[in-house]
Amino acid sequence: MAEQIIFYILAALIAVFSVLAVTSKQIIRSATYLLFVLLGTAGLYLLLGYHYLFAVQIAVYAGGVMVLFIFAILLTNRPGENVKAERKDRRIAAGITSVAGLAFCGHIIYWNVNKAYTLLVPAEQKVQDIGLKLMGTEKYQYLLPFEFISVLLLACIVGAIMIARKR
Amino acid sequence: MLQPLELTNLLSWLDTTLRDSMPVFWVLLIEFVLVAVALLAAYAILAIILIYAERKITAFFQARFGPNRVGIYGILQSIADVIKILLKEIIRINNVDRFLFFAAPFFMIVASMLTFGAIPFGKMLHAIDFNIGVLYVTAVSSLGIIGVLLAGWSSNNKYSMIGAMRSGAQFVSYELSAGFALMTIVVLTGTMSFSEMIAKQEFCWNIFNGHISSIIAFVIYLISGHAETNRGPFDLPEAESELTAGYHTEYSGLQFGFFYLAEYLNMFIIASIATTVFLGGWMPIQIPGLDGFNQVMWYIPSYAWFFGKTGVLIFLSLWVRWSFPRLRIDQLLNLEWKYLLPINLVNILIMVILVLAGLTLTDLFPVLAP
Amino acid sequence: MNSIITYFKGLFIGIKSLLFGMSVTWKELWTKKVTQQYPENRKTLVISDRFRCELTMPHDINNEHACTACGICQMNCPNGTINVLSAMIETEDGKKKKILDTYTWDMGMCTFCNLCVITCPSDAISFNNQFENAVFTRSKLVQTLNHKGSKLREKKKEVKPQSVPVVEDKLTSSKEQMIEPLVETKISTPSDKSIKNPKDNTTEN
Repeated sequence: MAEQIIFYILAALIAVFSVLAVTSKQIIRSATYLLFVLLGTAGLYLLLGYHYLFAVQIAVYAGGVMVLFIFAILLTNRPGENVKAERKDRRIAAGITSVAGLAFCGHIIYWNVNKAYTLLVPAEQKVQDIGLKLMGTEKYQYLLPFEFISVLLLACIVGAIMIARKR
Repeated sequence: MLQPLELTNLLSWLDTTLRDSMPVFWVLLIEFVLVAVALLAAYAILAIILIYAERKITAFFQARFGPNRVGIYGILQSIADVIKILLKEIIRINNVDRFLFFAAPFFMIVASMLTFGAIPFGKMLHAIDFNIGVLYVTAVSSLGIIGVLLAGWSSNNKYSMIGAMRSGAQFVSYELSAGFALMTIVVLTGTMSFSEMIAKQEFCWNIFNGHISSIIAFVIYLISGHAETNRGPFDLPEAESELTAGYHTEYSGLQFGFFYLAEYLNMFIIASIATTVFLGGWMPIQIPGLDGFNQVMWYIPSYAWFFGKTGVLIFLSLWVRWSFPRLRIDQLLNLEWKYLLPINLVNILIMVILVLAGLTLTDLFPVLAP
Repeated sequence: MNSIITYFKGLFIGIKSLLFGMSVTWKELWTKKVTQQYPENRKTLVISDRFRCELTMPHDINNEHACTACGICQMNCPNGTINVLSAMIETEDGKKKKILDTYTWDMGMCTFCNLCVITCPSDAISFNNQFENAVFTRSKLVQTLNHKGSKLREKKKEVKPQSVPVVEDKLTSSKEQMIEPLVETKISTPSDKSIKNPKDNTTEN
């Protein structure tokens, strides 16, 4: 009962702030609304009992990515100015793309929700298990993707150095 | 062990009587409200005490007396200040982004409040015991910086803006070291939960358990925690001589009070996390085998131990604050990226080796294990 | 390799100097506090003799002062703080004589520069140590320094103090006139006064 009320409040917050984040004319406000969306998502994880995911969501997205977003916005030319509306054909294209994305994701979620109920264990995930899964080489363990992501990050760092050096 | 002054009996009595007299839903509701009220009250009272203590200790470092007119030894001074700040007008400023301007102080206070709630103040005085307590605390405390950035931007003032940018750079850098220093201890104890950490430190505090590595981590945590609170030699975001008051230049009244409150409470939170992680939290000093001594130590209630240890660390932070001159921004970033972070990474490796090779004190002397 | 050595050297030297700094402040924590708790310590409060608080015109037991109403102090005052009002009277032997009528001093405008005291040829005024000068209205800051019914101290020509000739050659021309009106009360402390004054004269004039 109480959980459902909290869920609906969180869901409403996420929905409202998502719309606001897209429609807001000021880019820094958009960033703030996006932050609220991310915090709301963290709240959902907390509601589900995934404390680790909750903390990571806040640390990585709210505390890390959003701070960098706001920093980047503050460093741009005129952060306070209103953003101009896009051309009409572009808006229609964006709308079609988002509807397609929604349909795609919805399809996946709809067809996999039943499976999720059977696969997911209600017990809390231990941090040690997550760590072992990430660093293991056996079946359902993810060392290879993990290392690929680190290569991606390395490429990003090299690219950043190249851009900074060009001056 | 006999523990006459603990609050455990009182709290469990309260719980059982409530449960006997009404349904579970109402019991939970009442208890939640009680916990929230207790935390809020503790938050405000601690801030008042900290402000008084800081002014007094600062004065003593500068061969002055400090506040000594309002009440005996000036103990009512900070209460008078609180009343003043509550009565002050909140000035409405033209040409600011009003929504963000008003939201920014709340980010600060909510972030420090969320962290405050997860601290174990004593035996059974622990509002929420996450099994990822350390991670939770580092994650949530990083929200405060968003308040600083938004405050700096929305004030429409170049001083605020520069202060906020400096604060952001400082906080993002030093959070890294603080997190790594805590992770060193997570490697040592093998758990992220505060309550388990305290239980493991019954006879041997973590700072001694991991000896060399722990001490380095402790020092690094104190330095970077101090830098995260924007105080002392690291107070560039509000450097008075350059930026008037930095990111909270435009704030007045209670809004400024929020920033002020959050600053002091962050100092307390950093000290209390250091206490819990490194100095055994609320656990009294105990020596295996000396039962009489242990019993005497238990007569002192656990919350007194916690506040005592935290107080020592807060005093250390004030001592540092009034000893060193303010750093330049490049010196500040040098300290983090060229000294603290590399040392920290090596330190984690050393700790891993210590744990794997069984060279920690509890491994060498099994009698110290809980 | 060399850079690694400098890195660690810098690190340890830095830590050492920081610890030294903290030891200094630790000692400072326990030093005696220098704050003067003013209203409580009024009895024991020590105000330096040279501190200038309030301009006074010393009167002796017969309600006599040394001011000849020459107006030099008024002329020397940079702010126009002093106002000397004189009156002409006729003495018994028929001579006209200028005497002091009122001597007003506005503390609100005074910068306490001490020029009036230095230049006074007859040592009639001085600054005292009475520092609690707060009043409620500005008009109270304007004080009349000569007491009611006071008059100029008669000069005694025959009394010439011993120390005067020694001092005389050191004195500047304006100061030479001051010796004559010197009287008995002043003679008791001529040495420190006359030594102090020429010093001030040479430095400040």
